[in-house]
Amino acid sequence: MSKADVFAKAGKTAVLQNIHGTMEFLRKFPPFNQMENAHLAYLVENCHLRFYAAEETIVAPENGVVQYFYIVKQGRVYGERSASDTHGARSTFEITAGECFPMAALLGERATRTAHLASEDTFCLVLGKPAFAKLIALSEPLRDFAIRGVSSLLDQVNQQVQRRAVESLGEQYSLDTRLGDLALLQPVFCLPSMPLNRAVHLMNEQHVGSVVMVDTELHPLGIFTLRDLRRVIASGIDDLTQPIARFMTQQPFYLPPDASAFDAAIAMTERHIAHVCVVENGRLRGVISERDLFSLQRVDLVHLAQTIRHASRLDMLAGMRIQIRQLVDNMLAHGASSTQVTHIVTLLNDHTVARVIELAIEDMGDPGVPFTWLCFGSEGRCEQTLYTDQDNGILFEAQDPDETARIRGKLLPLAERINLDLAQCGFSLCKGKIMAGNPEMCLSRQEWSRRFQSFILDSTPEHLLGSTIFFDLRVVWGPTDGCEQLRRELLEQIEEQTLFQRLMAENALRHRPPAGRFRDFVVSRKGNDKTPTLDLKKEGLTPFVDGARLLALANGIEATNTQERLRQLIEAGIVDAKDGSAYEEAYQFIQQTRMEQHQQQAREQLPYSNRLDPDTLNHLDRRILRESFRQAQRLQASLALRYHL
Amino acid sequence: MKLFRFGLGSSSKLEPRQQERLQALRRLQPLSDCRLADGRFVVVDLETTGLNLRRDQVISIGAVVIENSAIDFSQMFERTLYRERIKISASILIHGIAPSELATGSDPVEALLDFMEFVGESPLLAFHAGFDQRMLLRALRESLAYRMPHAFFDVAEIAPLLRPEANLRNAGLDDWVGYFALHVLQRHNASADAMATAELGLILLKLAHRQGIETLAQLEQRLNGWRRTQQPQHSL
Repeated sequence: MSKADVFAKAGKTAVLQNIHGTMEFLRKFPPFNQMENAHLAYLVENCHLRFYAAEETIVAPENGVVQYFYIVKQGRVYGERSASDTHGARSTFEITAGECFPMAALLGERATRTAHLASEDTFCLVLGKPAFAKLIALSEPLRDFAIRGVSSLLDQVNQQVQRRAVESLGEQYSLDTRLGDLALLQPVFCLPSMPLNRAVHLMNEQHVGSVVMVDTELHPLGIFTLRDLRRVIASGIDDLTQPIARFMTQQPFYLPPDASAFDAAIAMTERHIAHVCVVENGRLRGVISERDLFSLQRVDLVHLAQTIRHASRLDMLAGMRIQIRQLVDNMLAHGASSTQVTHIVTLLNDHTVARVIELAIEDMGDPGVPFTWLCFGSEGRCEQTLYTDQDNGILFEAQDPDETARIRGKLLPLAERINLDLAQCGFSLCKGKIMAGNPEMCLSRQEWSRRFQSFILDSTPEHLLGSTIFFDLRVVWGPTDGCEQLRRELLEQIEEQTLFQRLMAENALRHRPPAGRFRDFVVSRKGNDKTPTLDLKKEGLTPFVDGARLLALANGIEATNTQERLRQLIEAGIVDAKDGSAYEEAYQFIQQTRMEQHQQQAREQLPYSNRLDPDTLNHLDRRILRESFRQAQRLQASLALRYHL
Repeated sequence: MKLFRFGLGSSSKLEPRQQERLQALRRLQPLSDCRLADGRFVVVDLETTGLNLRRDQVISIGAVVIENSAIDFSQMFERTLYRERIKISASILIHGIAPSELATGSDPVEALLDFMEFVGESPLLAFHAGFDQRMLLRALRESLAYRMPHAFFDVAEIAPLLRPEANLRNAGLDDWVGYFALHVLQRHNASADAMATAELGLILLKLAHRQGIETLAQLEQRLNGWRRTQQPQHSL
């Protein structure tokens, strides 16, 4: 290299100082933090920095096809859509430092639908369309972000959650992993004619807890596990050379390789099994064991569920709440979604409730009349976190008022006892007395039916509140027919009562999501709190729950779970597929944030609270939470439109 | 005699190609033609070995271009100038340019020619422009025997002219950056300071437009008036 070249090079590297500084700035924000260095440098080297004074328009529909890509370097930008139907202009969103716009218009090669204005003195990095187009072609993270927007951010959050898990547990493990991708060892199998002792020898040699019986085509015929061996030995057996076919469990449960680890965990819990065969096109591909799934965890789900189902005393059940908390902790750490966690919590809670009822009956004697244990509210929607009140009731069949009173008299003492026992197991007593031990909540089917009818026809505020709790009913224990019949009646009546629907819609707009125009979040001080906070449950989740309930009930959808309701509403064509899945993602993210906060509070032995100081979130979480609240606002706006509110 | 020989010697030392480049530097456009909204301005910041206008030397040049009311990231200039036997002074500590870095810097003749080609016919903008102008003029005279005819505008004057209500007197770059709440990424190297000055420049261009100032000539006129009002207070 000549001296001149060395000089030129030294000079050139110095040129990069401002470029480098701007790249460093962008690297704090997604999607720029995921872009390759060279691509980010290309972006910066080709952009301009522009200044916009407060209230100045940056880009507007009347400017025609969008020519620039903007990134806010400093300041704030808000969107304003001129709404012809309502009074004047309406602000729709806010964009702050590190965020970019107008992505959809740029990709669609059209004008923006929204005017973008500076809400305070603002600097934007501005990139011309040709450079943007080139960059989109080069950079996958930017392309992904441009096309999928906030959804791609959600993926990042999941990665972030898992990274945190890796930090604390030292190994990556996700419940979303395909069973086919879990490193399955060559499954251990044999023909059904193999003698028992040789099959056990095989298991011992291969260090496995199960062996699958197959035919010559590898079709699974049965499974034999260590648990079976224990049973066989305990039953007293003389001839260990009998064929294994005599002892195996026939038609073993199996899943396809595309099923997730989570599916396997659920199957094990529901079926009380410890091994699941993985079968593709009828042929055995592998076996996944409880141990494979939860080898990292101290507490395992299946074991926990079994312990609950077989607990012989109440204090054992109560003691298990701590283990459930640890399990949830582990699951969150392993990247489980809030949906998976609420599903598991609901499952374990259902097991606990069922066992409490059985133990109470064992202790107090069978009342001699069949009854159904119902749950309402979040429990009814399968959306319980670990910290929920009891919302339950009893349904029974009776012919006339006399019989009704007689049966109620028999059931009430038992119900009261169950309520108290549940309280001991960590289900706090319901302040609103929505508990089966309350005579008002221990009703015959006809009585429930009359009550629900009065909710629909005579809409007092109290009835309206009642409908938001009781209409999410579900059976936890006992026969299910009565409840199903009740639900069918309910749906038929609501479908006809448009006035009731309208009142429910009004009710669904009561809690406004805390996303503001001039600040990210609308926060308020509660009591003596030093820092202002927002309510994740009331302000964040309730709008989705109320909205999904109303639309489901009004359209004959039987599901009670909010996400399931949304999915069925999409299928039925009542909610747009894109909107619906955006609502679902947003709901799930808020729920996840709430659960992580609860787990944190439990670890720090603080009373649990749904109030969150958004300043404690990292940048990415903060931005997605804000987007999620905006989705809640959109859902409410669509309800207002639908019901002319 | 040493000084004389230095000045003459270095200009006579120019290689033929460097002489050609020097001759090719373009003439200036009149200020009245230079519109603020769509003109090109070079915002410059220098680092020097000290504050002595006669003895200290330029050790680095940072420049940012404002064109069509935007800072253009494809036009950035920074050169560290190669200087022999440089003394470590306070300025070096502030600017953080290590003697080793200066030793690998560009040949001053090349760097200054590069800079003048980069500037072209555009007027210059700097904070406390008087200092930068005189340091640069001397460096150009000594290294290239070139008299720089360009106009310099001082952001330290324009800012209080257009924003008297800020009530900032004899304020430094940091004061104005603080006043307009600019998020400056890093400071105290020539290009970052030029960038901060240029961001101030963008705000000032907008203020000028709102106050009916459309060309550099109009700005110059307003500045002259403003300087007269400032003088009595200074002489007190």
